[in-house]
Amino acid sequence: MASPCEVLVDCDNRDVAECALRIARDEAFRIEAKFSRYRRDNIVHAINEARGEPVPVDEETAGLLDYAATCHEISGGLFDITSGVLRRVWTFDGGDRVPPEGAVREALRHVGWHRVRWADRVIGMPEGMEIDLGAIGKEYAVDRAAGLIAAEVHEPFLVNFGGDLVASGSRRRQRPWGVGIDDPRRPGEAALYRIELHRGGLATSGDARRFVLHRGKRLGHILDPRTGWPVQDAPRSITVLTATCLESGTLSTLAYLKGAGAREFLVEQGAQFWIL
Amino acid sequence: MQLNPPTRSSSLRSKLSTAVCILLASAAPAVTPAVARADPPATQLDASLLIYGEHTRAKVVEPTVRVSRLFADGQTVSAQIGIDVITGATPSGGLPSGVSTTGPPGGDGVVSVTAASGGGGTGPSPADLPVTRFNDTRVALDADWQKPLGVLTPVVSGHFSRERDYQSIGGSGKLSLEMLHKLTTVTGGAGFNDDNVFPSGGTRAPLSDSTIIVGHDWNPKHVRGGLVGVSQILSRRWMIAVNGSRSLETGYLTEPYKVVSQMDPGSGLVVGQITERRPARRERSDILTSSVYHFLRDVLYLSHRYYWDDWGVRSNTFDLKYRHELQDSVYVQPHLRYYAQSPADFFRFGLVQGDPLPAFVSSDERLGPLRTATVGAMLGFTLPGTPGEWSVRAEYIRQFGKGHPDYVTGVQRDFNLFPPVNIGSLVVAYSLAF
Repeated sequence: MASPCEVLVDCDNRDVAECALRIARDEAFRIEAKFSRYRRDNIVHAINEARGEPVPVDEETAGLLDYAATCHEISGGLFDITSGVLRRVWTFDGGDRVPPEGAVREALRHVGWHRVRWADRVIGMPEGMEIDLGAIGKEYAVDRAAGLIAAEVHEPFLVNFGGDLVASGSRRRQRPWGVGIDDPRRPGEAALYRIELHRGGLATSGDARRFVLHRGKRLGHILDPRTGWPVQDAPRSITVLTATCLESGTLSTLAYLKGAGAREFLVEQGAQFWIL
Repeated sequence: MQLNPPTRSSSLRSKLSTAVCILLASAAPAVTPAVARADPPATQLDASLLIYGEHTRAKVVEPTVRVSRLFADGQTVSAQIGIDVITGATPSGGLPSGVSTTGPPGGDGVVSVTAASGGGGTGPSPADLPVTRFNDTRVALDADWQKPLGVLTPVVSGHFSRERDYQSIGGSGKLSLEMLHKLTTVTGGAGFNDDNVFPSGGTRAPLSDSTIIVGHDWNPKHVRGGLVGVSQILSRRWMIAVNGSRSLETGYLTEPYKVVSQMDPGSGLVVGQITERRPARRERSDILTSSVYHFLRDVLYLSHRYYWDDWGVRSNTFDLKYRHELQDSVYVQPHLRYYAQSPADFFRFGLVQGDPLPAFVSSDERLGPLRTATVGAMLGFTLPGTPGEWSVRAEYIRQFGKGHPDYVTGVQRDFNLFPPVNIGSLVVAYSLAF
């Protein structure tokens, strides 16, 4: 998951806590191995290297692709798992290097879920296109791990993979889990806000850590698949709470993609959110 | 920084939530509403108006308002009030007169029966079924409470309704248990109803000519029942459920104003009519099988219900709905339904004068060889710039049956005793969370 992961279990039994941790770790590694775009031995690699050939996929991959297709549709194309190609032309190292317009235009030719043939568990993409399940993989892993732990462990627990997390229920004696939201100006140093979470999934989208400077403007690493450019005027940090980590993560990403319209979008969705 | 209460679910949000549920169905995380201390309780308001009309018969107008409140611990409490205003006419149970009649100038025909509440009825043409005119207002109050406790969800509900000649008090409890990573839900429950019938004008003696009043008290009717069900998520897209219920009704199960005609053995003309009589006990059972299949956007709902009771009624109901998303926050849902039942053992369109009276008899069409076919559609939408979700549902229902029994005589053989009835129904509903 390339980020710190933790499992908190509110109990007195070390074995129980370790059992939860083991389940979460195994599931995280399993999902990472299966869906990471950085590996050369998994289904994502097979799809991305198919050079236009159709690739049949398994049930779980089909589930994720269906989900991505739904997100693409309901967001009017804003949410697009094929937009990863654009990252090749952008470097978000906090510096001020912006790619030439021609490079962005060229990359955009290989972006767009609508160009993907996806039916009957077979996916076919024009050569040069790629999918990247990174935008949903981590949240999916959190919910999956929580589901597996809940089947074995009957104590309250919280699964946190790199800031995307889910709580199974109140801690003992009805106490909440205290969750801090990072200060986007000082990432990793200070929590600006404390949420008392009893149950549900929290996910945050933002540009605190990865950005590029352009004409004095800070551009976050989330790219608009329609323009090929980073989303502009989005809040620095958007945290959403819903029943699941996946729904929270998707909503916070969609909100971020709306740029300056993030707050209005989340109000419309009736989601509970914190914008910093 | 902003803290927002959980408010209405938009169409985008509901599609997203559905997609999340489908994807995570096999992983089974806690897909229960998120709860953080900062949550203020959420309130949901549902209002609807039903307008129902049978051609030349009953008309019903029913406004309903429901308020639900969700608390931070997942507890839900809701209360509903509904008011039915019913006017029009219902078949009295009698046979067509078989004769042409002319009433006094400006008056009605001569075939008239005592009415539940209101005036008499008429059968203006020889082949027409006589009807009883009536009007009534019914007020119904419902409340329920549920609270998730881990894998168990108890639901308790209560019901009270009152109209001029009928009162109903009931309650039920239900417990759902989620098992096998929430792929399976098992539900069990039990309920009761203690009703009272106060026939207007007193309780008539059964199988009498309606003039013998045996009491002016209420007539109790008790219902005790139970249900069990299993729902199973078969795949990311497909869920099926089987539910069975069984109930026992005891007490006054007769329709106080329905009559049964007696016909002349030769001519078939109506020569008299008697009140109906039903057993004081009825055991009812049903099995409902349903399936919900999610396509990428659309949803297909299919169900079949088989019902049987110890009065000899057997019925099958087939129901099909297809929800088709037209665009963001607009959907259309066509609906087809077919219902067919076999008549109760003691159902008779009429009796032949001179034959010995049966122990039980009723000519209530609802116990007869009834069929209904329904075609309808619902349109769901939101109005730009305004909160809340709207839906409009319109249905056309055709009720019909086999109306040529071999036991009727003379002129009655020429009539369709179960003439088709055309029914229209319209429901406008509004839902708002805040």
